Amino acid sequence: MRPLTETETQALFAKLANYTGNSLKNLIAPLDDSPNGDRYVFRIQNSRCYYVRLSLANLATSISRDKLLSLGTCLGKFTKTGKFRLHITALPILAEHARYKVWVKANGEMPFLYGGHIVKAHVGRWSEDCAEHQGVVVYSMNDTPLGFGVTARSTQEARRLDPTGITCFRQADCGEYLRDEDSLFATN
Amino acid sequence: MAPSRTSTVKSKHASKHAANKSGIRNSKTSSKPQSDGVSKSKKPKGKGPPAKPQKSAGNLATLKKKRRVYTEKELGIPALNMITPVGVEKPKGKKKGKVFVDDRESMLTILAMVNADKEGQIESKMMKARQMEEIREARKAEAEKRLEIRKAKLDETKEGMRKKRKRPSAGEEKDDTRSEAAAGTRPLKLKKKKSVSFA
Repeated sequence: MRPLTETETQALFAKLANYTGNSLKNLIAPLDDSPNGDRYVFRIQNSRCYYVRLSLANLATSISRDKLLSLGTCLGKFTKTGKFRLHITALPILAEHARYKVWVKANGEMPFLYGGHIVKAHVGRWSEDCAEHQGVVVYSMNDTPLGFGVTARSTQEARRLDPTGITCFRQADCGEYLRDEDSLFATN
Repeated sequence: MAPSRTSTVKSKHASKHAANKSGIRNSKTSSKPQSDGVSKSKKPKGKGPPAKPQKSAGNLATLKKKRRVYTEKELGIPALNMITPVGVEKPKGKKKGKVFVDDRESMLTILAMVNADKEGQIESKMMKARQMEEIREARKAEAEKRLEIRKAKLDETKEGMRKKRKRPSAGEEKDDTRSEAAAGTRPLKLKKKKSVSFA
């Protein structure tokens, strides 16, 4: 387990900034005003990046690297080429700071959770002024985060789309907790 | 034939090795049988090198010593006058390994940089999208205008045709004025009349 290097931090923040707005800086804000107060930090363990409280990360140093499976919230993993790939486990953090949102109707929830893209007919609401290929967080109509994706069209273009046209490409959905159960938390 | 060929090849290799060895040993007897044809030119070379390396090695050693002395005196000048690859030369005084970013300030600066970059990207995307939308709307409006103009032209020509046909029909037959109310049926009737006229 180790902190991130500069390039890794940049890659991570660039990916997170696709989905979130300026409130992202609240992620690393101190939890209390005291000088040595607890705060959240990013740690890498087996190429996976975890968002974890500093006190917990310090405690985890007592566990050897090969024995430590996971700690805190797994945000995703760094590929061998140095890029960062978000996992569905990062959804609570993304949903909290989301900039653009798409609400899916009840009839579109299951197709999305089974790994399908979002078609226009299933969209209940969407954020205005959203550009093309912009990261969005997908919610159900009662504001439960279901996953995240990338817009296929800008909001203006999507209005003219036919009902079967794809408006949002899926990147991760909560169904992965079941579908990728074997590989989601396994390290090898 | 094959074995004989291989044997010749082997002998060639062997001769080369032998020549080298002979060169080092300076034995005339071993070098003589291999001096058939092409190897004649190699002979003097073979004899030359053994003497040279010893000399050059000695020279190099002295040179190196001298160079080392100079480099120690003049710190800025590189020790060897050679091109060194970028990755090979390690910077002095730098810490070995990764440099971690764990303090909040540096993380915030990185975050601010990334955020500004993303904002710019999104803004430019939105601007592009708006421009494209404007262009599309302008094209649409133009296309609609063209369609209207075409329609108007078509209507004009239609009217013109109707008027042209009205005049002769009105002059010839007075009874057909009733049937003119249904405009679609007129041309058929005219055709019939024509056929009648031909008959």
